[in-house]
Amino acid sequence: MSEPVLKLDRTDKYFGGVHAVQEMSFTLEKGELAGLIGPNGAGKTTIFNLITGVYDVDGGKILFEGEDITPYKTYEVIRKGIARTFQNLRLFPRSTVLENVMTACQQHHKYGFFEAATHLGRWGSFERETRKQSMELLERVGLSHLAEQAAGTLPYGYQRRLEIARALSLQPRLLLLDEPAAGMNPDEVNDLNGLIKGIHRDFELTVLVIEHHMDLVMEICSHVICMNFGAKIAEGDPEHVQNHPEILKAYLGEEVLEA
Amino acid sequence: MSGYVEGIIILLCVNGIAALGVCLLTGFTGIFSLGHAGYMAIGAYTTAIMTLRYGIHWLPAVLAGGLIAMTVSYLIGVPTLKLMGDYYAIASIGLGEAIRLVLENGGNFTRGARGYPGIENFTTLPIAGGFFLVMAVLMFFLVRSNFGRAFKACRDDYIAASLLGFNTARYRVFSLAISGFYCGVAGALMAGFLTFIQPVMFDSGKSTELVAVVVFGGLGSLSGSLLGTMVLTLVTELFRPISQYRMLIYGIILVIIMVARPEGIMGQHELSPRYIKSLFSRKHRTAKATEGGSGL
Amino acid sequence: MDTLVQQIINGLSLGSVYALIAVGYSLVYSILLFSNFSHGGFIVIGGYICYYTLAAMGNNIWLSGFTAVMGAGLIAVLVEFLAYKPIRERTSITLYLLIASMGMSIVIENIFVVTVGGRFRALPPVIPTNPVNFFGLATTSAFDLLSLVTAIVFLAALQLFLTKTKWGLAIRAASYDLRTSGLMGVNVNRLISIVFFVAGFLAAVGGIFLSVRYTLFPQLGGITIKAFVAAVIGGLGSLPGAVLGSLILGLAEMLTAGFISSQLRDIVVFGMLIATLLWRPSGLLGKQISEKV
Repeated sequence: MSEPVLKLDRTDKYFGGVHAVQEMSFTLEKGELAGLIGPNGAGKTTIFNLITGVYDVDGGKILFEGEDITPYKTYEVIRKGIARTFQNLRLFPRSTVLENVMTACQQHHKYGFFEAATHLGRWGSFERETRKQSMELLERVGLSHLAEQAAGTLPYGYQRRLEIARALSLQPRLLLLDEPAAGMNPDEVNDLNGLIKGIHRDFELTVLVIEHHMDLVMEICSHVICMNFGAKIAEGDPEHVQNHPEILKAYLGEEVLEA
Repeated sequence: MSGYVEGIIILLCVNGIAALGVCLLTGFTGIFSLGHAGYMAIGAYTTAIMTLRYGIHWLPAVLAGGLIAMTVSYLIGVPTLKLMGDYYAIASIGLGEAIRLVLENGGNFTRGARGYPGIENFTTLPIAGGFFLVMAVLMFFLVRSNFGRAFKACRDDYIAASLLGFNTARYRVFSLAISGFYCGVAGALMAGFLTFIQPVMFDSGKSTELVAVVVFGGLGSLSGSLLGTMVLTLVTELFRPISQYRMLIYGIILVIIMVARPEGIMGQHELSPRYIKSLFSRKHRTAKATEGGSGL
Repeated sequence: MDTLVQQIINGLSLGSVYALIAVGYSLVYSILLFSNFSHGGFIVIGGYICYYTLAAMGNNIWLSGFTAVMGAGLIAVLVEFLAYKPIRERTSITLYLLIASMGMSIVIENIFVVTVGGRFRALPPVIPTNPVNFFGLATTSAFDLLSLVTAIVFLAALQLFLTKTKWGLAIRAASYDLRTSGLMGVNVNRLISIVFFVAGFLAAVGGIFLSVRYTLFPQLGGITIKAFVAAVIGGLGSLPGAVLGSLILGLAEMLTAGFISSQLRDIVVFGMLIATLLWRPSGLLGKQISEKV
């Protein structure tokens, strides 16, 4: 039996007195499209930050493909094969759309300092390859016609797609999407659903999505984990989770339930 | 060509090399430095001492000047650049002072505050021009490569950069080391041109000049920095009579540019036939409007 | 033993003056999250206003002192209004603020160079500098004791301001999160002006004492680098840290000058900075500013 792609083993995180993540444990098998849901402040983004090494873990372990990545620094974790997008978008606004993707894509076409300074050796072929792969990804998300535009000037929805394209160009095996549908209307969410399902299939990824849009999560995710106040309160397939009393309580409040 | 004009061109080349180094660090990597004249001093004094005291030929001496400046910058960079915030800027002021103190108190080895005379005049026009051309081409190539994109990523959003797999601390130190090398070589060539060096030539005023030039030309534009160097060197020469206002004017320029037009003259663009043409096209003007509207 | 106590008092006295400067600087850093390099300018402004009002109004240190600190405070507010406010309203790139602050620092210093000239000026002896016998342990100068006491008084006043007044509370809130405190109803622009006024005010007090100690000249603001280092050692953004770091730095400087060599003072300062950054970068009392990702 192969190792699960991601395993959190009783992961803990404190921010001063706040127990932001409480002994969180879950496992993702290879090829899953999973959802991480919960009210605001539940600790979902913190989990992403712990996985990617932006925050240090205060207890427990995180394993990626069987390897303990808990002590790794952020860039080391990324190089292992994990990529993420952000709730608040972190593009390079003054660079072009293409440059944004190439900056990520170049990680797989590395050439040395002397080649860079002299434009000799592998510079030519690797730059062409990076550019080509970046354009292909932009086409995949429907942004290739905007390649030379400054990323900061793009409409919001396009910026989100660009972030996804950039994350994909890292050729990850685990993709973490942090509220990719935030701020989108139902039509846009539909398009995004299609995009996520498509890339999950075509790039053979394991995907973990944080989302508030229930329709997105319930439609595309096969495995749902629900958090509140830093702890896991339910886990399972969408139908199971949808009707779980703890979830309803978390989202709707106790008074509503008892009414 | 008269000696005077030749001298100006040599000065432009030498200052230009230093400006390119500072542009890489501040413009492309987003690190503010207040002590880069210190690296020039290291380059100048290394060359002076190696040629005069040890009789070494000027070419290896100049390169050694660059390398030693690079090493010092690396040593300062490692503890200070892995931290985000203004730690390097603060340290760079201290470093500038420390270098000046060491040079002034170096006894016979550095000849102290009185200066180091009698350096061979090896920086002729072809030499200065040659060094300038080679180092400029290397720099232009470097920023148009994976390294250039990496530096810019560290500048624009270091968290995003690390989440794209970049070891941001390492790239920042690297950028500093290269800028140290460039300033070291510039200082070395300066020594070979002036034939006399004093610690006070590489004081905070000189460091400020370097920053002013890069800011004026445009953070993120190499040709902008060179343009800035040209403007500054020429203006300094023309306005010699009011040189006591020099520093005051630099200060005012820095503030005004940051308030009114922080992208400087060239912004992030490089001077090229395409750019000049685009200045006159309507498409550029409308694109600029939308770009400005979305803010930074 | 005699010399040791003397140097310790010297060190604490110098450190307390550094503390006045470092605290103002740290206060600005904790709110706006950038290093205000023009802080040294406020020192010099305080010194010159004091000097000229002493000459004009007959050596009354209280009157001149008051004018100097008020003047420096107001000019600090003006600097913020002219140079920093336009930038911070348009962008969050702190590099621009840093460069602008450097520019202002140069402008302030050179306005003095160009108008009143760079020569060293001694303040008239309005602050006593006569030797005093310190509890029979050592002979020290009245000046050192006075600067120490004055610094303590002003720092205590600042502490009262921060803990017991409405604006003090607002400032403490803003040092955690400026934008949120704005959302909670704090007038952010006015808060920043108040912070700069306080910073300029305190710097001017330090400036008066420094002018007596070192004589007055336009580049006196350069001493602020020591305050920057003190703030880093104590923890950038922490006010108690700034005070602690300043005292440590003052002591280190004086002990080095007294027992090793005067030339090495500044190198020791720089060395302490690098040592701090290598082994404890958040400083002694610093808080980790973690960014929300």
